[in-house]
Amino acid sequence: MQYFELAIIKISRLMDLLAGIILAATATLVVANILGRALLNRPILGTYELVGFLTAAVVGLALARCALENSHIAISFLTDKLPPSWRRFTELAVGLPAMVFLFFVAYNIFSYGSRLAASGVVSSTIRLPFYPFIFLVAAGFLVLAMTVILSLFRQVVGGEAK
Amino acid sequence: MNPMTAGLIGILIFFLLIALNMPIAYAMALVGFFGFAYLTTLPAAFALVSTELFSAFANYSLSVIPMFIWMGFLAFYAGIGSRLYNLAYKLVGHLPGGLAIATQATCALFGAVCGSNTATAATIGAIALPEMQKYNYDRSLSTASVAAGGALGVLIPPSVIFIVYGIAAEQSVGRLFLAGIIPGFLLMFLYMLAIYLVARRRPELGPPGPKFSWIERLKALRGGLFEVLVIFAISLGGLFAGWFTPTEAGAVGVFGVALVTALKGGLTLEIIKKSLADTTRTTAMIMLLVASAVIFGRFIAISRIPFAMADWAAALDLPAFAVISLILLIYLVLGCFIDALALILLTIPIFLPVAVTVLGYDPIWFGVIIVMVVAMGVITPPVGMNVYIVKGVAKTVPLELIFKGVWPFLIAIFVCLVLLISFPQLATFLPSLLH
Repeated sequence: MQYFELAIIKISRLMDLLAGIILAATATLVVANILGRALLNRPILGTYELVGFLTAAVVGLALARCALENSHIAISFLTDKLPPSWRRFTELAVGLPAMVFLFFVAYNIFSYGSRLAASGVVSSTIRLPFYPFIFLVAAGFLVLAMTVILSLFRQVVGGEAK
Repeated sequence: MNPMTAGLIGILIFFLLIALNMPIAYAMALVGFFGFAYLTTLPAAFALVSTELFSAFANYSLSVIPMFIWMGFLAFYAGIGSRLYNLAYKLVGHLPGGLAIATQATCALFGAVCGSNTATAATIGAIALPEMQKYNYDRSLSTASVAAGGALGVLIPPSVIFIVYGIAAEQSVGRLFLAGIIPGFLLMFLYMLAIYLVARRRPELGPPGPKFSWIERLKALRGGLFEVLVIFAISLGGLFAGWFTPTEAGAVGVFGVALVTALKGGLTLEIIKKSLADTTRTTAMIMLLVASAVIFGRFIAISRIPFAMADWAAALDLPAFAVISLILLIYLVLGCFIDALALILLTIPIFLPVAVTVLGYDPIWFGVIIVMVVAMGVITPPVGMNVYIVKGVAKTVPLELIFKGVWPFLIAIFVCLVLLISFPQLATFLPSLLH
């Protein structure tokens, strides 16, 4: 359990770091494109497409860390008033379906990516095969689902609600 | 079961799930998926949570969100806020309630480089609260003035809430940004007036600070104001002039803030790392919410609830003013419980057709009004986001005391709303110049 916890925390931090680097690169690409367009009259081909894909990667990679830090908006002022045993029950009642659903979403996105990879679909302007970005988003949802398992474990085992 | 009933049951389940502390984004996606599967086919619903979810993330028009968020966090860590406060403090600090008045000016100016009300409240709170404590300000007035002032950052562009409204309502982000400027400054003046009147009546709440000579004031002018104006002019000026897409304006803003900070010798790797970490976290939160709202919105659309709402509003035979007041009242009540972004994403598909198609209001104007109403929500109990942020800065002040102090500001927002409803040009004039 401890290893699982540690692994999830490490993986989501690493993914978030990668998300930050990709975001910085995206902003640089956008500005470079403006400069190229304005000064050299030569915009960077495919910026529009790439920025979209890169943003998807940023979001996917940052999902899990965001969940670990409890940053996905939720309304807790009602459940906060419940006694601890009740609260544990409600956490399980909403956590389990959320976890199953997130695994399902991850699987769905993954199989969408596999379909595109198999059929060789590429983007329209720069003909880039973009299935790797889809896999990144699927990986993000997979780790996100695992953070929900982690918080469920903490509820059941420790009860130290956080 | 007919689609309407399924839609209503879906909405009920959604509210039940979020009341039980399920993150709002999960609940929207979950209910949206099952509702859509029920009303159409399972394969169609599968596509919704794979193809469409990815397309929502990989949408160029959404890439503007991380850019403006990063710009705001960079400005936050770079200390632009404290230089702005220094200026406002030297200009108006000597008036009754002057430090709280200076806080409003700082929030408005900082809002011009920061798109988030919570970041604005956190930045200005950390700077202004210790100063107000030094001059023995009433803690209820000082904390509430920061919480309320944070909402100015939402109206004054750039603004993440306007971007999200623009996405939900399919409106131009540039026009929405322009529309927020006059109402934003109007609200700032009304806030200042409210503070002045409160402090005039009970001087012990906001004792005047020191008075500065004009030379000192002019010196302070060089501090933050100049850099903010330059960044604003290049980034948002470029957007308004049509040179940049919103995403480009955001990226230019990021580089603008970084450059200005570097020129002052303040740009460290630490600042970049911290601001990036905050940005990716906030971006993930907002984009998951937006993508989930797309799924939920599909379900609501095929349940035909929006049409039924529009028909119902048309059949009411009430003056437009009464219907819009009713809608605002609903927003005000929901805004007390649900976060502003989530609330806008959730309700725009339902209320926008009523306001625009049935009542004939301008969708840009409606956006400004809605943003202003949710700005009330961030300072009202029980889930006033900005009040919690300020509480995080001023840990010793009880929440109730902050909520007690927000009354003058709520009245100011209300007056501003009445003015905006009576004179829609306040919001629509600047965007109309774009044509």
